[in-house]
Amino acid sequence: TICPNPPHMKITAKPFVSVLVFFPLEAGTPVNGNDEVERNMVLVEKLAYSKGLSPEAISIMLEFAMSLRMGTSLCARVLKCLIPATLVPQEAVVRAVVWLSVGKIPVSTQILFIKWVLTVFDMIDAKDQLRAVYGFIFNFVTEENLCPFICHLLYLLTRKESVVSCSMLILFPQGRQPFLLSLLSLYKVFCPEMVMLSIPSRIKSGFRNHNMPWKSALIAVQKGAGPHVAAGISPASTTIKTNPRKRKRCHLELPVMTSVVSKEAQTEPSSCGKVVPLVQLHSFAQLLENMHRIELPAQMGSLLGSSLALQYLDCVQDESALLRLNFWLGYALHEEFLFCGDRGASQNSQEALPFLDRLLSTQHFLQEGFSCSEAFLYKFLNVWDGSLLRPQILGLLSNIPVVPSAQIRQLLFEPLMQLFFTSSLFFKCGLMECLNNMLLKWLTWHSVYALEDDLDISLNSHTSINMTLSGFKDSVMELVDFVGRLASLGLQLEGCHSLLLSFVLDFYETVCDMFMKYGLPLVVMPPPGVFYPALFATDPVSVDRLAYIMHRWGLFTSCFDNAAMHVQAFHISRQMVREFNHYIIVMVNCLWNSKMFQLDMGLSLGEDLLLKSKVPQYWASFDLVHHPAFMSYAVDFHHRVMLAWRKDMDLNSIKDSKPWSWYLEFLVSQGYDGLKQFVQSNIGRQQLPADEG
Amino acid sequence: MERHQNRETRTPRNNVVVHRRRKSKSYRLSYRSGLGAADSRLGWSPALTARRLNTSRKAAGISNIAERVDPGQLALLVKTEWQLSYVTPLHQFRHTQLKSYARQLSAFIAAGKQQGLAVEVEGLQTTFRVSFSLVQGMTQSDEDAESVLVQIHSKRLFARQDEPQKPVWSGWLTCINGNPDYLRALPKDFVCLPLFGCSGADGLSALVKSWFQQSFDCCFGLLEISHTSLQWLMALWTNCHAESGIQHLKMIWTLPAAPPLQVTYTEAGENYIDIEEVTSFMQGLKSHFYRHFRLDLSAGSLNQVSTALGSAKYSGRMKISNSRYMITTLTLLTECALLKMPI
Repeated sequence: TICPNPPHMKITAKPFVSVLVFFPLEAGTPVNGNDEVERNMVLVEKLAYSKGLSPEAISIMLEFAMSLRMGTSLCARVLKCLIPATLVPQEAVVRAVVWLSVGKIPVSTQILFIKWVLTVFDMIDAKDQLRAVYGFIFNFVTEENLCPFICHLLYLLTRKESVVSCSMLILFPQGRQPFLLSLLSLYKVFCPEMVMLSIPSRIKSGFRNHNMPWKSALIAVQKGAGPHVAAGISPASTTIKTNPRKRKRCHLELPVMTSVVSKEAQTEPSSCGKVVPLVQLHSFAQLLENMHRIELPAQMGSLLGSSLALQYLDCVQDESALLRLNFWLGYALHEEFLFCGDRGASQNSQEALPFLDRLLSTQHFLQEGFSCSEAFLYKFLNVWDGSLLRPQILGLLSNIPVVPSAQIRQLLFEPLMQLFFTSSLFFKCGLMECLNNMLLKWLTWHSVYALEDDLDISLNSHTSINMTLSGFKDSVMELVDFVGRLASLGLQLEGCHSLLLSFVLDFYETVCDMFMKYGLPLVVMPPPGVFYPALFATDPVSVDRLAYIMHRWGLFTSCFDNAAMHVQAFHISRQMVREFNHYIIVMVNCLWNSKMFQLDMGLSLGEDLLLKSKVPQYWASFDLVHHPAFMSYAVDFHHRVMLAWRKDMDLNSIKDSKPWSWYLEFLVSQGYDGLKQFVQSNIGRQQLPADEG
Repeated sequence: MERHQNRETRTPRNNVVVHRRRKSKSYRLSYRSGLGAADSRLGWSPALTARRLNTSRKAAGISNIAERVDPGQLALLVKTEWQLSYVTPLHQFRHTQLKSYARQLSAFIAAGKQQGLAVEVEGLQTTFRVSFSLVQGMTQSDEDAESVLVQIHSKRLFARQDEPQKPVWSGWLTCINGNPDYLRALPKDFVCLPLFGCSGADGLSALVKSWFQQSFDCCFGLLEISHTSLQWLMALWTNCHAESGIQHLKMIWTLPAAPPLQVTYTEAGENYIDIEEVTSFMQGLKSHFYRHFRLDLSAGSLNQVSTALGSAKYSGRMKISNSRYMITTLTLLTECALLKMPI
């Protein structure tokens, strides 16, 4: 008897429809103790304040409230949560006005209703029917308490016709309150002959704003709805209503692309006729056709929204256009992430995320970063927690053009180091990937621009800054060194996590190809903190990739041998060569010769200590057979091949000449090409492992 | 007098500690001297973003701008409390076009009012007359662009002819002693007037700002007067005691306590505060509060400073009460506004 709606209703996907079904109740349903009503009201309020109510919902709820089906207390409560998402149906308002005259609604609630109508007035889908009942509404003027609000509503509805149709007589005895005078002054404008009263020229502003209960909710809802807000409310009007003190975060909205109308007066009329505003172009063909006479939009920020415009921006080398874009973009980034301060803007990532994504795709499209995002990042990295919008921020970071080596430490390395050591494994991996991408981009720029001039490379097509080759090399060197330090410590901190190791090796794959692929004559070896964890990794892929990297370096150093005269130009010191040779010897001795821990290997452990460990044949424990990463392959191989000859399990037997070469082939067949290439380039001459055991 | 004018003052020391604890870490850390070279990609001089708040500045010089600036304009500038904003450089702004700007802005406001929500209907019965005017005599260096004053008067629909138009909104754009390197580095088609002050209805402020945004492709952002700048203003204003005497000095702190706590310190009478003493004065004040109320003021933030010469609030509201110190104050605020420039 209490309520007819299904008891199992959940607050999930589409509960709202069923809630609405519930509301056109029969009159006289009790309110007190009716838990269903309460629950449904809460649901409606929640939806109203978060997303706003659809026109149908407004209709139903308004009818429910004004008909007083469940008494007067619910009526006010419903009115307070009637936040339209898009439009308010005119019929609903007219019906509600009719309910006003039934006379059961308390005056305070009547006032609340009129205030609501005033607040959402611009969202009412049409006004013709309301104007049709103008006279009906006019009658409420006699109600003393309602009068100010009714006057305001009439003021908004008044047309010349409506003035004629109404009798002014009722108004006069009521005194000269400002709201009446305001309305009368309007009447006087339309029909001066009908208003005999002399209106004082100085009327105190007649109508106050009655939007208090709804204003903030309405703004919030409209903000959330974004483009879906129907044309009934123009975007201009919502921004106008911005209260600067409670700053609405509108700085992330792209400006609408408009042509420079207001300045036409300033420019010579002769040139005016010919320019084509960018906003009028809709296809690439049109763009090409009008390339020579395109006019940039009034607000450069609007370019971000159109790929056609970006294409144009990419072509024109207009410094001030780019500067305007940078000012706007930098402003938006700073306001959103740096100046937000206590206002906690960082929480509303639902706006920041698409904004940054758009910025990233723009930079991707233009294949270079904006200088404002660069300047922003240098500041932001100092306050970033490393998790807010991580993929986007790291994406922006990887687009940074080459930083001069003198500044790179302060601008990039210091803040990144702090973040790196205090963040999770996933951040570490992300940063490694980001730095790898950064290096790749730097190298790509180098390979593109270095061709134009042997010494000077212009790093950014839109800019005039030149960087000498040695300056560029210094920066790259700094970056690689930095990543080496990060990686060494990071691997240590994370227990040589193979995911992190994989990202580190990605980076070194780029590094080892700096010359071969990008023509930058620079060799940087990985630090021991990277080399040994990779060599002793428990996953074969890491060892294989290390072998590949060493193989690539081998290629490079061999061509460096042939052209000894270039040594000076190549940042290669004897030390570097010694380091490389050392690594090669270690790898060969470890994986191949089973000669771990020999005196000249750099890995010196006391013999007594090694004996104490009681590892049998410790010198062989990292050869390709016993290496923890390959042991399973060795066992597998043993099972498949060796058991044909031997009954007992003896992995050492693989090291015999024939099985050894089969074993290598077996490994290669498993996809370890890095090892294959390493063996081919470094162990060509001596086919057999020196079996000491 | 001479003595004061020649003295260099330093940024009050004690703010350093305070700053590290405050949330606005971003603000302070965001200006690093090293940025220059990285930003010179646009062909600018490295100095462009090697910006930070000056650590020393001349004690308030008394300027006789009253002799140079139109008294009417000066009276307006002095008597009003302004809400400050920073503005990125204006593209294609011409000081010669002010008349046409006035027309355009009037039309823009009229259009905006048409579009507005019904709740601000009062505007319908009034029309607005906009005037742009140069404030001559304000600039201090050759690089500074001339300040511009914008005023909006309302005209009632049924106004009598002789009825004076009521000023309903006013605002100005200025640049006083702007960093010459920054100003020089900007291309010629930009005019840098980084400091914007306005007073009047919020709706009109928003309209004016959006007109400027659309016409000159610039951006407006709230200019908060940071803790450090507030202390600077206090130092600059109190240093001027010889001229006008400190009638009172009032400072308001907000402390991060639950419930929120506001500490007001009012110094009345003829207490002499010298510029060198500001630091020790602040220190003394803090230890006083700590000793007596167990309140560590450095944990909170200075929110408001007011003296007989002017008042400033963290929220960016500022009032200059004496025209003789206007240039000094505006120089500091211009500096703050330039610090907020995104590039």
